[in-house]
Amino acid sequence: MLRIEHLTKKYGSKVAVNDLSLHIAPGEIYGFIGHNGAGKTTTLKSAVGIQNFDAGEIYIDGISIKEDPLEAKRRLAYIPDNPDLYTYMSGIKYLNFIGDVYKVPAAVRKERIHDLAERFKLTADLAQPISAYSHGMKQKLALISAFLHEPKLILMDEPFVGLDPTASHLLKQMMRELCDQGGAIFFSTHVLEVAEKLCDKVAIIKDGRLIRSGTMEEVKGDDSLEEVFLELEDK
Amino acid sequence: MLGTLIKKQITELFQGYVFNRKTNKMRSKASAAGMIVFFLVLFVGFLGFSFFMMASGLCGPLVQVGLGWLYFALMSLIALFLGIIGSVFSTYSSLYLAKDNDLLLSMPIPPKTIVASRAFGVLLMSLMFSGVVTVPAVVVYLITMGLTPARLVGGIVFILLVTAIVLALSCLLGYGVARLSLKLKNKSYITTAIALVFFALYYVVYFRLTEGLQSFIQNVEQNAEKISSSVRFLKVFGEVGEGKWPAVLASVALVALLCLLVWAVLIRSFTKIATTSAASGKAVYRETLAKDRTLRQTLGAREMTHFTSSSGYMLNCGLSTIMLILAGVALLWKGGPVITLLNQVFGEASGIVLVMLVGGISLIAFMNDTTVPSVSLEGRSLWIVRSLPVETLDVLKAKLDLQLKLTVIPTLFCCICAGIALKPAPAEWVLLLAVPLLANILFALFGLMLGLRHVNLNWSNEIIVIKQSLSVLVYMLFGLVYGAAVVAVYMLFAWGLGPVWYLLIVAGVTCLLSFLLWSWIRTKGVRRFEEL
Repeated sequence: MLRIEHLTKKYGSKVAVNDLSLHIAPGEIYGFIGHNGAGKTTTLKSAVGIQNFDAGEIYIDGISIKEDPLEAKRRLAYIPDNPDLYTYMSGIKYLNFIGDVYKVPAAVRKERIHDLAERFKLTADLAQPISAYSHGMKQKLALISAFLHEPKLILMDEPFVGLDPTASHLLKQMMRELCDQGGAIFFSTHVLEVAEKLCDKVAIIKDGRLIRSGTMEEVKGDDSLEEVFLELEDK
Repeated sequence: MLGTLIKKQITELFQGYVFNRKTNKMRSKASAAGMIVFFLVLFVGFLGFSFFMMASGLCGPLVQVGLGWLYFALMSLIALFLGIIGSVFSTYSSLYLAKDNDLLLSMPIPPKTIVASRAFGVLLMSLMFSGVVTVPAVVVYLITMGLTPARLVGGIVFILLVTAIVLALSCLLGYGVARLSLKLKNKSYITTAIALVFFALYYVVYFRLTEGLQSFIQNVEQNAEKISSSVRFLKVFGEVGEGKWPAVLASVALVALLCLLVWAVLIRSFTKIATTSAASGKAVYRETLAKDRTLRQTLGAREMTHFTSSSGYMLNCGLSTIMLILAGVALLWKGGPVITLLNQVFGEASGIVLVMLVGGISLIAFMNDTTVPSVSLEGRSLWIVRSLPVETLDVLKAKLDLQLKLTVIPTLFCCICAGIALKPAPAEWVLLLAVPLLANILFALFGLMLGLRHVNLNWSNEIIVIKQSLSVLVYMLFGLVYGAAVVAVYMLFAWGLGPVWYLLIVAGVTCLLSFLLWSWIRTKGVRRFEEL
């Protein structure tokens, strides 16, 4: 579903991501962990087509994000670490905007918004301007907008930050549902317990280089993910 | 602490001058200084020179009859109105709507220090707008009367006092708008309406003042006597510029009192206003079936929603929509006699009136400049359009569409009104309609090009990119030059061509420039947007 091949991204002389390769198959929840500034966000942004990269290739469902970005983007959804949404819109206006862009038919959209907003308990606030939303509410709205067009792949940067425990639990459930239907999730997190329980596979990045990746069992063995991570970080 | 906050304000204000977004590096000191000098030359050079000429015409006759105070009083009135109008549309946003209000209020910083740092931004705007009148006024006076220490000190105090009054009055108005906004549901519309009423009031007073200048100079002594006896303060204030010490002391005391009162009002209410969101009740959500829209409609609606959500955006970038309609009505109302008079002066055969109308309408239309800040206004939400399956060019076209939607119909209305007043021949009718509309396209493209070349996504207050950027100034200058050049070139070089051939050439040049800008936008402009 997502294939990253030899990705390299530089900011001036600083190499943010160095020859990184990853393959995320349909049905997989793939965790991406690393210290601050390790290159997680850069990788995610490159995969979504927000950021140009210097070398390598990225394919979404077999489509190159470089060669055919629009077709690739139609298959994915992205949630950044800080959901800076259009504060000049109301929640429902924003969802309709996203629905229009992805050409979700009005009747289908209405049904999905109803269902998703109910699940995230945001229905009552949809008419409010986004500027009046708390961080958690913005995150919920960003999640609803991400699921609205039923993407095959969702890339998320720290998706659990700001969510209340109920919403957090719901998100994990929805991630699993999407993968059970043949979709895939690639997300970064600093909450290693969540990654350990939720992910099918995990990749650890350090200073722009992929230092370990594979199934959860392959990566952590008999230790906890936290122990493995700290050990790798110290090397 | 205040120094730190002011430094932060200045950094934000001058970010575009000291930081090169293209290379992601700080500019060299020489380059930054060059940018700032360029800004000053554009602003001071253009507006300052106009007021220098105005002051030169006024100063001599008034000073000769011993009425230097009247000269300064008149110049200060003009400076006050220009200064207030220059800063009033942004004061509310500058004082209360900064995104870092919560952050700063959570720190151990006294609210009054935050207010002072915000007011510093207003002070700079006040100084900039009133200074283009007061500084030339003082310079002309010193040239006319000769330099003495008292006159120099008086001149400097005069400049500072006018700035302080502009600051105080702007802040007071910003406070009033903020208080009203807290009670209103449709904040942006009401704020815009209030500001427009103020703006209209300003124009009424300003035009009356300009008309009055002529009669002042014709009967200067009687008029001066009337003013000095009826409005004592105006005389005392005018004497500040002459360097008369009692006037300086009295005026400083009065202005200080005004500033202190405004300061007290601001610091008493700042925290409440800055941290209170709208008092309107919670909007109730009702499920409805949305209409399916095309991508163009969707992106267009996004731009329009952004525009109508912000009074600062509407007032600073959409004023021409109203001005063009007013100008059209004025042309229908009083256009006939004015056109007859101009024809008598220049001769009907010259066709200058047609050219003047085309230049004038273009001059009003260029004040709509939504494309200039539109890219920067994406701010931290830029990731949304970048991650969605939309062509960058479509996003940019939506930005152009907004400016054209706001400008084309009012321009057409104004042109039709002008045509009714002028009664031109068929070919002239076509050109009267076509050239201003082509100019609309040129201005929109030029604004977008500037917006793409000078992007600032990390603003904490949108008014910085809407009003206080170099791009806005360059755009304004371009519009002024275009409108003025259309008339001036005809008068100086193209009289013999006649208006039809001349306007055909203008239309051709406008099309060519538009084509060049469009070519740049769809290639390099798109690339720039994608690299942000």
